[in-house]
Amino acid sequence: MTTDELEQLLAQQPVAVLHRLARGRVHRHFRAGKRRLIELLLQHSSQNLAGLESDLQTLIAERQPPAQPARSPGRAAGRAPAPPSKQPLPGGGEPGIGEPAVSLAAWLEGLGVPAPQPFVPDPWQNEALRALDDSDVVVSVPTGSGKTYVAVEAARRAMEDNRTVIYTSPLKALSNTKFTEFSRIFGSDKVGILTGDRQENGQAPLLIMTTEILRNLLYDAASGEIDVRLDTLGLVILDESQYLADPERGVVWEETIIFCPSQARLLLLSASIGNPQDIADWLSSIRTTPCRLVRHSKRTVPLRAGYLHPNGKLVPLFKTAAIPHGHPTHLHPEAKRLFIEYEEETLPSGRPRR
Amino acid sequence: MPPSIHPVDLIASLRQKHLTPAIVFLTSRRACDEAMESFDHADIVLPPARQDAIAAALERVIAQYPSVAEHPLIPTVQRIGVAAHHAGHLPSWKIAIEELMRQGCLDAVFATTTLAAGVDFPARTVVITQSSIRKARDFTDLTVGEVQQIAGRAGRRGKDQVGFAVVTPSPYIDLGVLTKGLTGHPESIDSQFAISYAMVLNLLKAHPHEQIQGILAKSFAQFQLNRRAESLERKLDTLHVQMEPFGPRVCTDWITQWQTFDQVRRQRPQRHQVHRQESPELSARFHFMTPGRVVGLTRGRGIVLRQYRSKGQKNPMISVLRPDGAVTECPATTVADIFDRVFDCEETSAFPWCSAAAFDELCYQLTELPTRLPILPILVPKDSEPLSDAIVQSMGDFPCPTCPSRPACQKDFTIAHRLRQEQHRHIKSIQALRASLWHRFQERVEVLQKFGYLSPSSQLTEDGEWARLIRIDHSLLITELIRAEAFTGADPALLTGIMASIAHDDDRPGAFPRISTGLSSLLGQVRKLAESLSPYEDPPLLRADVAALAERWIADPNLTWIGLCRLTTMAEGDIYRLLARTLEFLSQIHTLRATHPGLADSASKAIALIRRGVLEELP
Ligand SMILES: Nc1ncnc2c1ncn2[C@@H]1O[C@H](COP(=O)(O)OP(=O)(O)OP(=O)(O)O)[C@@H](O)[C@H]1O
Ligand SMILES: [Mg+2]
Repeated sequence: MTTDELEQLLAQQPVAVLHRLARGRVHRHFRAGKRRLIELLLQHSSQNLAGLESDLQTLIAERQPPAQPARSPGRAAGRAPAPPSKQPLPGGGEPGIGEPAVSLAAWLEGLGVPAPQPFVPDPWQNEALRALDDSDVVVSVPTGSGKTYVAVEAARRAMEDNRTVIYTSPLKALSNTKFTEFSRIFGSDKVGILTGDRQENGQAPLLIMTTEILRNLLYDAASGEIDVRLDTLGLVILDESQYLADPERGVVWEETIIFCPSQARLLLLSASIGNPQDIADWLSSIRTTPCRLVRHSKRTVPLRAGYLHPNGKLVPLFKTAAIPHGHPTHLHPEAKRLFIEYEEETLPSGRPRR
Repeated sequence: MPPSIHPVDLIASLRQKHLTPAIVFLTSRRACDEAMESFDHADIVLPPARQDAIAAALERVIAQYPSVAEHPLIPTVQRIGVAAHHAGHLPSWKIAIEELMRQGCLDAVFATTTLAAGVDFPARTVVITQSSIRKARDFTDLTVGEVQQIAGRAGRRGKDQVGFAVVTPSPYIDLGVLTKGLTGHPESIDSQFAISYAMVLNLLKAHPHEQIQGILAKSFAQFQLNRRAESLERKLDTLHVQMEPFGPRVCTDWITQWQTFDQVRRQRPQRHQVHRQESPELSARFHFMTPGRVVGLTRGRGIVLRQYRSKGQKNPMISVLRPDGAVTECPATTVADIFDRVFDCEETSAFPWCSAAAFDELCYQLTELPTRLPILPILVPKDSEPLSDAIVQSMGDFPCPTCPSRPACQKDFTIAHRLRQEQHRHIKSIQALRASLWHRFQERVEVLQKFGYLSPSSQLTEDGEWARLIRIDHSLLITELIRAEAFTGADPALLTGIMASIAHDDDRPGAFPRISTGLSSLLGQVRKLAESLSPYEDPPLLRADVAALAERWIADPNLTWIGLCRLTTMAEGDIYRLLARTLEFLSQIHTLRATHPGLADSASKAIALIRRGVLEELP
C-alpha cells in the first residue's frame, strides 16, 4: 500500500481507531484532531509504514463483526449515509450505489415549458380544505407548492358563510402583494389592509395585515376595547408561519395563536420544517378544536442540482439527476474533482480544507 | 483561476444552456451592485424586440410608481436583461423587478438571500454562491431549511418541467453545507418566546395575576419545555428503579448520613485549610457538565467526556470532545453554554474516557448537531452552605462507626450517591423547565413595579394603563421618556428624529454631519436614560445621523427624496425603511391621544409630514 493509500484508509476511519493506533506512537495524541492525528501517525511511522498498516488492518478487522452498530433511535429516517466504517477497504471507488454517474445531457433533459394544463387542485390542497371544515390546520409543504390556493379557497368559503377572515403575513411587502392579488380575486370592496403604516377598507370581510397588527388587535379585544368584528371572525390564516422560529419576532406568532378567538379556525401555512407535527400537537393541546397536519415534502416541479466551475464548465452536482435525499456525499465525480481543484488553487497554502 | 465566475460569463453560460431566467444569490448588496456594473462594457445586448418588451413593461410600472423612472439601473436592465434586487433598493424598484421577472422579460436577477422568504419570485434556475449568511454581524452557515428555501425558488409551476439549483464556488464556500442542505431534512423549529414589558402589561390588563401562569402555559415555548421535562421524568422513573436496592437501612436516609460522616471524617484534621472557593453559579453549572452533555465553549461546541478536579487548577475541570475528534481539557469556567442535549455516554477510567464505540458515536453526533440548540435553564441556589462547625464538632454523635450496616453503606455509597445526585439533578431540571417562563414573567413584573407601571398587587397603575399601548421594541425607554416629559414642547421634527434613532437597528454606516442643537441635546438626554435603563432593556443604537436625517425630512417640507438621499451615504432602501419604521413608532405614540393629547398631536403631524414623495407613492 502506498503512503497515499494508507492516508486515505486512515482518513476513512473513525477518530477512535486513530486514537487507538496512536497509543504509544504519538505523544499526547488525544490533543490532536483527526487531520493532525493522521499526519502525526504517518510521520511517526514513516520508517515502518507496514507496521502501521498491519495494526490498522487488525483494528479494522476487530471492528468488522458487529456489522453496523445500532444507531440510537430518534434520528431521522432518511438520514446521512452509514459511517465510514462500513467501507473500510480502500480503492472501492465512490461509496454507495454502483450505477454510473449521470451525464450532463441526461441531467438537462426535460428542461422547458410544460404543455398548458387545466387547473386541478392537488390532493394535499383538497385535503387541507376538507380538514378545515372541522379542525384547525397546519400545512407544511415545500416552497412554491401552492399554499396561496388553500388560503384563497378557505377565505372564499368562510366569506360565503358571512364570516370575516384575517390573513397575516410577516412582511409588509408580502401583505401589499397579497392585497393586490386578493382584491383582484374577490373584488376590491371585499378586501382591506392594515399594516403599521397603511389602513384601507378596514371594514371589509377579508382583512390583510401583518401579524403584529393582529396581535395588537387581540390584546385590545382581551382588555375590553372590543372590536365587535372579532365575534364574526371565522378564519385566521397565518402565512409563512415558520416565522414562529424567528429569534426576534417569533413570539408574536405565539401570542397571536394563544389569543386567537376559539370560534375562529386557524390555518397555518408554512414552508417545509422539521417538526410540523409538534406545531399541530401544540395547537390541539391549547385549542378547543383539534388540529390536523397536512404535509408533504415532494416538490411539485422536480429540482436538480448542478455545479458550475469558474471556467464556465457545467456538470451535475450529484451522481443522480434527481437530488439524492439523505445522501449528501453522492457527488458527481466530475463535480467533486473540479471542486477539489478549485479549493487547491484558491485556498492560501496551509489553510486546512473543510 | 479567478476566485469565482465573472458575472458576464455566468449569464452567458446560463443562457447558452437555456437555464434562464435565473436568480443569482450573492453574499451582499455590494456584490449585486458590482455584478451589475460589470455589464457596463459587456457587448451582449438583447435583441430589440426584447428591449422593447422591457421598456413597455417598465412603462406600466412607472405609471403606478413614478419614482422608478429615475432609477439609474434602467438602461442596463433594458439593454442586457439583467437586474439587481436587494434591500438597498426602494420597494417600488423591487416591485418593478418582480413584475419584469413575472412577465418573463429578464434573464437574471442578482439578489441577496433576503429574497428567499415569501416574495413570489420564481425562476427556472437559482445560482448559489455562498454557504453562509450574515446574521447579527456574524456569518453563520445556512441551515438545511434556508438552503431549501433558496433552492426552492427554482422551477416555476406551470412554466418549467424541472428547476435547477446551480452551485458555483466562491472563496469561503463550504460545499458540504450546501450538499447537506439540498439532500437533508429541514431542521425542527424551536420556540423563541420572549416576555416583553408590553406583554406583561397587556396580560395583566386583561387577566388577574393568578391566571397568567395558565396563559403562559399555553405557549409553544411551554409545550416544548414540557416535552423536555417529560423525557426527564421518564429518566427519573428509571433511576427510581435503579435506586431500589439502596432504600432505607438502619438510617432512613443513610446516603446523606454516610456522606456527612465520611466528609467529617476527612475534614476534621484539615479543617483550617483554605477551601476551594467556587461561586454558587459555577457549582450549579458544574453539576450539569456530566458525561455526554453538549456544551458551548468560546470556540465552538463539544461533548463532555468526564469531569474531574486537578491539583494544579483552581477550578473544576472537564474533558471535552471537540468536533474534529480532539479531546481538550478545560476549566469548567470556560464553558459558555450548557445545552439541553445529552448523549448516552458511560464514563470509563482511561482515555478517551468512554468506550471506543461511544467515542465514534459521539464524534458523529457532534457533526450532526443542529445549529441552534436549546440552552438548559439553570437555577442558581442562593448560597451553598459548607458544613457548619457544629456538625464537624459533633462527630461523636454519628452512629456509623458501630453500625451493623456500615460495611454495606461504605460499599454502596459511591453508586447510590451518584444515582441520587442524578435524581436531584433531574428533579431540579424538571422544576426549572416547568417554571422558567413564570420566573421570567415575575422578573418583568418586578421591574414594572419598581418603575411604577404596576402596583405592588400587580394592578396597572395610571401610567401602566397607557404604557401598555406602546407595543414596540424599546417600549420601556419610550414610556420612560414620555414620563420624564422629554417630549414636552418638542415639535414634530424633533419627535421624529428621536423616534427614528430608537427605531433604527441597522449598524450600516451612514454620514450626515449637521445636527440641530435641539435634537443633539435631546438625543444626549435619551442616551443617558437608555444607559440607565440598560439593566432592564437593551439600549437601541441611537445613531445621531439617522436622527438628523429623519428630522430634516420633517423640518423641511420642500426637501425632495433625491435631496434627502444626497444628504447621507445610506442606501435609498435603508432610508425608506428607516422612515417607514419611524412611522410605525409614531403611530404607536399616536394611540396615546387620550392621555397625552399634545404628544399624540405632534405624532400625527409628523406622520402626515413623513408621508410624501416615495413614502406616499407606495402602499
Ligand atoms: N394545483 C395546482 N396546479 C397547478 N398550479 C398550481 C396549483 N396550485 C398552485 N399552483 C401555482 O403554483 C405557483 C406557486 O403557488 P404559491 O405562490 O401559492 O406557492 P406557495 O406555496 O405559497 O409558495 P411560497 O413558499 O413561495 O410562499 C402559483 O403560480 C400557483 O398558481
Ligand atoms: Mg406563499
